[in-house]
Amino acid sequence: MSAPIFEPLGDAALVVRTPAARALLARLWRQPPPGLLDAAPALGQVTLLFDPLHTDAAGLEQAVRGAYSTLTAEAAPPARELTLPVTFGGPDLPWCAAHAGLSEAALVEALCALTFEVAFLGFTPGFAFLTGLPPALQMPRLAAPREQVPDGSVALGGPWAGVYPRATPGGWRLVGHTTFQAFDLSRPEPVPWRAGDRVRFEAQRG
Amino acid sequence: MAEPAQPSRALVVLRPGLQTTVQDAGRRARALGVPGGGAADSTARRLGNALVGNPGTAAGLELTLLGPALRFEAPALVSLCGAPFGATLDGIPLPLWRAVAVQAGQTLDVRGTPAGLRAFLAVRGGLDGQEVFGSRATDPRSGFGGLEGRALRAGDRLTWGAAALAPAPRAHPSPEVRTPLGPHHRLRVLPTPDLTPALEGHLCGPVFTVGAQADRMGVRLTEAVPAPHDPTRPSVPNVPGLVQLPPDGRPILLLPDAGTHGGYPTPLVVIQADQPRLGQLRPGDTLQFEAVPLAVARQALITQERALRQAETALRLHFASV
Repeated sequence: MSAPIFEPLGDAALVVRTPAARALLARLWRQPPPGLLDAAPALGQVTLLFDPLHTDAAGLEQAVRGAYSTLTAEAAPPARELTLPVTFGGPDLPWCAAHAGLSEAALVEALCALTFEVAFLGFTPGFAFLTGLPPALQMPRLAAPREQVPDGSVALGGPWAGVYPRATPGGWRLVGHTTFQAFDLSRPEPVPWRAGDRVRFEAQRG
Repeated sequence: MAEPAQPSRALVVLRPGLQTTVQDAGRRARALGVPGGGAADSTARRLGNALVGNPGTAAGLELTLLGPALRFEAPALVSLCGAPFGATLDGIPLPLWRAVAVQAGQTLDVRGTPAGLRAFLAVRGGLDGQEVFGSRATDPRSGFGGLEGRALRAGDRLTWGAAALAPAPRAHPSPEVRTPLGPHHRLRVLPTPDLTPALEGHLCGPVFTVGAQADRMGVRLTEAVPAPHDPTRPSVPNVPGLVQLPPDGRPILLLPDAGTHGGYPTPLVVIQADQPRLGQLRPGDTLQFEAVPLAVARQALITQERALRQAETALRLHFASV
């Protein structure tokens, strides 16, 4: 495993780049180094927010190096399987089908045959970046983002698929809609997925 | 024998103001995509709470541009800190940066402010509100926290926590610790790996104007700079105070409710010591970015924190003796 790369971001954050970002984050949650306030994961990296009155980037880097050196193949929580009911027929479905050189029905079939993986959460509460789109099904983002994407929209953007948990601006291509709630505070677990979980789309009859 | 009815610790919103929300020190759940939230001027929050004997993280009301009118149903100890809003208590001018005793039945009426944008109204005992991921801060975009996850409306009722009655301290924080207000701001920044020499020339030095889009997510500047555009750029985590550069080149300063991740270049970060100033940027204000070394950022924060703690400690002594 290659050594992590550290890069300060301002005077209160440290970016750690490593393929083992997920395991590192789990470890840091269990044994937080002094001064660590919060952490935000992304693909192959985790950004650590720290209290600059208690530590600095160098001090935190040292603590993270220590945690990293003892990082073993720790028991990750088991991946769960989620099936999302999707009503395909979003405004960008025809464009996406044409871009992929498929009929709409064939694109829907291809999307439903995939198993996605939750890479990380971020952007808005409960939003999951789903990885697993083959290059042929990857769609360029819109040149100008929509001002309002309806909640529940199922969308494709670059290498990612995703579900908008609430209405927000968004630049991904909308291919469908799901009743799946990615953020619901009335549930004991408000966010029903976490990094590593496996996700499939199941086409509903519109 | 029946207990005498306890007067409920509550206030009623007669007029909500422009964007009045329950805020505290914010939450730490970025790994779930949840923004930090919390009062945009953390200095006003800490000093306001200290003036009424609350922990610095207690929830209060954040006022924006035009304040609310509130009728208190029970006696309270309050303070109003931040931008110099005009305020009256039953028609009598209310001093800012002071603890003020409010009698049951009195009305606090907060109007506008000639400079700055926000103030923090602290109530002894701390405001109640929906707690989500360890914070009562209102996130109006996701609709949670505070009062039903939204800004106040007329007719709302807010309650606060029990705390021993205490007289108002005579002590008050010196003006030097307050967050500086506009109309002109110098914001000290640190470069990120996204900063190129060309971009630095466009961003650090020239004067920018705060645009009309200035909310708790971000403050848009009106002057455009040549922005690099890379649609394949991955989404990476945001941190508070980042200066984001969307394709149209008009920089956005990220505030507490900004999304946790973003895909646009972020060439600068405002230093910690200057972040409370972001909460006071008012449309029409002008600002300049000034790149500083990390050591300057660090020293500025230590100096600021020392002054804040001195004020907090002095006020804590007052409440310890009651």
